[in-house]
Amino acid sequence: MSATLKPYLTAVRHTLTAAMCLGNFSSQVVERHNKPEVEVRSSRELLLTPVVISRNEKEKVLIETSVNSVRISIAVKQADEIEKILCKKFMRFMMMRAENFIVLRRKPIEGYDISFLITNFHTEQMYKHKLVDFVIHFMEEIDKEISEMKLAVNARARIVSEEFLKRF
Amino acid sequence: MWISIPKTTLKRMRQIPGGLVGPDENEINTGKLIDALKVLLTNAPTGIKNQQIKENALNLTLKVLLAIKPSQIEEAVSSLDANLVDTLMKYVYKGFEFPSEGSSGHLLLWHEKIYNVGGVGCIIRVLADTRRV
Repeated sequence: MSATLKPYLTAVRHTLTAAMCLGNFSSQVVERHNKPEVEVRSSRELLLTPVVISRNEKEKVLIETSVNSVRISIAVKQADEIEKILCKKFMRFMMMRAENFIVLRRKPIEGYDISFLITNFHTEQMYKHKLVDFVIHFMEEIDKEISEMKLAVNARARIVSEEFLKRF
Repeated sequence: MWISIPKTTLKRMRQIPGGLVGPDENEINTGKLIDALKVLLTNAPTGIKNQQIKENALNLTLKVLLAIKPSQIEEAVSSLDANLVDTLMKYVYKGFEFPSEGSSGHLLLWHEKIYNVGGVGCIIRVLADTRRV
């Protein structure tokens, strides 16, 4: 399984590096507004080809680029019911605190578990390569985190049932 | 190694007149895989709107890409010129959208090798080009 993880992350890293060429761009529709074009989709000419990078059927990354923003959506591996629940809760926890993560989007794109929205203001305030590193690091950690939580839940369940069945 | 293409596909591809026909199937059937790939990429239907032709070309190209062995990938990529490398990258990204058993892992290999040749510019051109495959 882990044989494809490294090429997967490298492919995402290269694509993100390429996609994160963002510049300031004021809205063409409303005077003195400045909106991420990938969200408002006001004009076709401002959007670039969206690309998908997949590791298998379930794990994939969607990268949508526009002139002043890039949206990255990640689908995380969910092998069974418990992983599905853990993933949902964990993502919910983070997305409720989205402003602390700065680049996190409050809602994921349909079909994916979590989305990031990086605008030109983010790339101006932060190092571009660090932003890429952050996304890659996030993808690395999320799998680890979920499988750890799954183990913890199972261990706890085992102890609880042991305690409970001692009475009989 | 030989690749079989359904008769109906061949027929449909032959019917379309003009330059942007999509790949010529006969050359693919007779040659080697790397030559087949070259033919497919040179004739890639990027400028036309007909979804059927694009789909056929995509399926053919993916078949060839997945048939080429990991050890031959480097040789295949280095034999292509810059324009074809860009088109190849487009097909690799397109292939990621329809993952099947083991295909993504193979395409990730392709992606890495193409990146080694084409660099970031290659990916940028895939993103920015509106003539999609």
